[in-house]
Amino acid sequence: MDRYSRQHRIAGIGQHGQERLRSATVLVVGCGALGTHSADALARAGVGNLWLCDRDVVEWSNLQRQVLFTEADARAGIPKATAAATRLREANSDVRIVAHVAECSATFLAALPGRPDLVLDGTDNFPTRYLLNDWCHANRVPWIYAGATGTEGAAMVVRPGGPCLRCLWPDAPATADVGTCETVGILAPAIAAVAAFQVAEALKLLVGSPDVATGVFTCDVWRGHYTRLPLLDRPSPDCVACQHGQHPALVAPAPMAATLCGRDAVQIDPGTTAALDLTALAGQLAEVATDLQRTPHLLRFTADGVRFSVFPGGRALLFGVRDPLRARALYDRWIGRRP
Amino acid sequence: MIYLDHAATSWPKPEVVPAAMQRWFTDVGVSASRGAGDRCQVAARTVATARAALAHRCSSDPAHVAFTSGATESLNLVLRALLHPGAAVVTTAFEHSSVVRPLAALASERNLRLEVLPPHGDRGIDLAAVRSAFAHHRPSALVCTHASNVTGAVLPAAELCALAREHRVLSVLDVSQTAGWLDLRVGADVLCGSAHKALLGPPGLGFVAHRGLQLPAQKQGGTGSSVALAQHPDHWPDAFEAGTPNTPAIFGLEAALAARSEATERRELAATLATLDAFAARLEAMDGFRVHAAKTAERTPVLSFTHARLDPAEIGAILAGADVHVRTGHHCAPWLHEHLGTAAAGTVRVSIGPNTAAAELDFVADLLAGL
Repeated sequence: MDRYSRQHRIAGIGQHGQERLRSATVLVVGCGALGTHSADALARAGVGNLWLCDRDVVEWSNLQRQVLFTEADARAGIPKATAAATRLREANSDVRIVAHVAECSATFLAALPGRPDLVLDGTDNFPTRYLLNDWCHANRVPWIYAGATGTEGAAMVVRPGGPCLRCLWPDAPATADVGTCETVGILAPAIAAVAAFQVAEALKLLVGSPDVATGVFTCDVWRGHYTRLPLLDRPSPDCVACQHGQHPALVAPAPMAATLCGRDAVQIDPGTTAALDLTALAGQLAEVATDLQRTPHLLRFTADGVRFSVFPGGRALLFGVRDPLRARALYDRWIGRRP
Repeated sequence: MIYLDHAATSWPKPEVVPAAMQRWFTDVGVSASRGAGDRCQVAARTVATARAALAHRCSSDPAHVAFTSGATESLNLVLRALLHPGAAVVTTAFEHSSVVRPLAALASERNLRLEVLPPHGDRGIDLAAVRSAFAHHRPSALVCTHASNVTGAVLPAAELCALAREHRVLSVLDVSQTAGWLDLRVGADVLCGSAHKALLGPPGLGFVAHRGLQLPAQKQGGTGSSVALAQHPDHWPDAFEAGTPNTPAIFGLEAALAARSEATERRELAATLATLDAFAARLEAMDGFRVHAAKTAERTPVLSFTHARLDPAEIGAILAGADVHVRTGHHCAPWLHEHLGTAAAGTVRVSIGPNTAAAELDFVADLLAGL
């Protein structure tokens, strides 16, 4: 019995579409809630090649919504990309899955063995989304932005030529302004809703359907609102990426993380000189971080068992962590700001 | 930028230093003893002048002065050449990683016994304990720094080297922190130092100077001499100078040495210490600060401090936000912090140079007062 028989009965897919899915390559950046939902659906749909990228490990607080992980993964602290790949191979052994335990940086993307047909945003931070936006624009690869916090979600298909994420917001918003799953929480169905939009659009793009949605999908699953805002019929005339062919995130210096000699501490230098609003950040963290302490010179707090000291220029010291990659993940999660 | 990290590397360098290096790139471009042309002669003369100037400062024969890539390489080569399996070594808690790590590696490779002397009183080290360590452990070498890179304490090197000689112990002195400030003629058998700190030369260059010892080569390669032989030469300094030398850096060092007499160095040290003492006095008067400064008779312009509520790394980040460059942490001196009580987080280190202005330190003290 053909495992895809129910799928290719869909008029927009058919046998031909199923073949196109089998030969397609999709890069899923971030294997959190959204990334695992979407990767699971794509693997089961028979997308032939899945590249997974995540720098973090499975933690207990992930299990509430990140569907590919088990308690055993969290106990062992398995890298998310590895754990997800194992589970997906069990679901569909025909799919060729490559797990990258890595930070999605410009260097990482440049070193990929080829160009994927599509990139799915499963990240939890805007700096990486802007990197995906610029890299995909430069390499003529479509990508699908998606994000969810609290009970709300948003998603948008970005095709080569735009409109793109920078048309919507020219620069990455500060984490303090948008909130994160850590600061405002996350309800699992909000993830499922944006994942449903993201996967449906992904399948349409991969089979070459003319029905790919435009505009920005938004939802609030608590209030039961699901809409598509008809924003952005065409690229913004001021967009540096769409109109001027510039890709700021590809040339921005990556944040530097250095382990302090002889200590369980890492210093993060965000590589930008723009000021960080410590008071706003303190407000965001008030309910979720502990030991919050604001002085004129720094903001201290404890989160995920790590003590943070953040300075007005965005520089931060993370005490109680040794691995620079882990420190960068924590920085993006709790402070999250890059050019 | 207010630059307060001269104990790591001095900055800015005297203008003659980059000018001399530029002259090598523009007009010379070749190494000494790699050919017979005029430019090789120019290179050879400048290298010989630099070597002779260092020999003079180290009370050594120029034939016993070798250039290396830095004090770290100097110490590695010398310790490997000197220390035989099973040997005992007396050293101090003040040592930099460039002594600590080679000794630790040799201790496991060659089964060395290490006797580490703790800091002691106003002299830095207890000479009676040194004498007793020599008598008790019968070491083959005393390996010690001339000055602490954390507190600026200068050890009584002349007495230490005399005691070593009395007990037939070879003395190896790390002068990285003192070359360019103090008289190095203290009777050590071997001196290891670097060009880029108080000597105001460029990085990537160091030296070994000794008093006629048998120090066999630890690396083999081209020397421009004995080219017909497959065997690396055992005569000095060629034995220690395998490979193409860093001639532009030697040009820079030669210019730095020619531009500043030892008398000038002593005068500048006295003035610099006075500037630093005023800063230390301000810090000590401020709530929450603890200053770790040397109480020895001789000192280098280095001090460390800690704060009751702020981590040294936090202070470093706050100062960096005001474009003040200090150093925080353990300063590659792993043993000393146990004795200072600063093992967990290290210290903030302020180290100044001949051109550091009192007003710069006042600015920093004002900043710290506001924490």
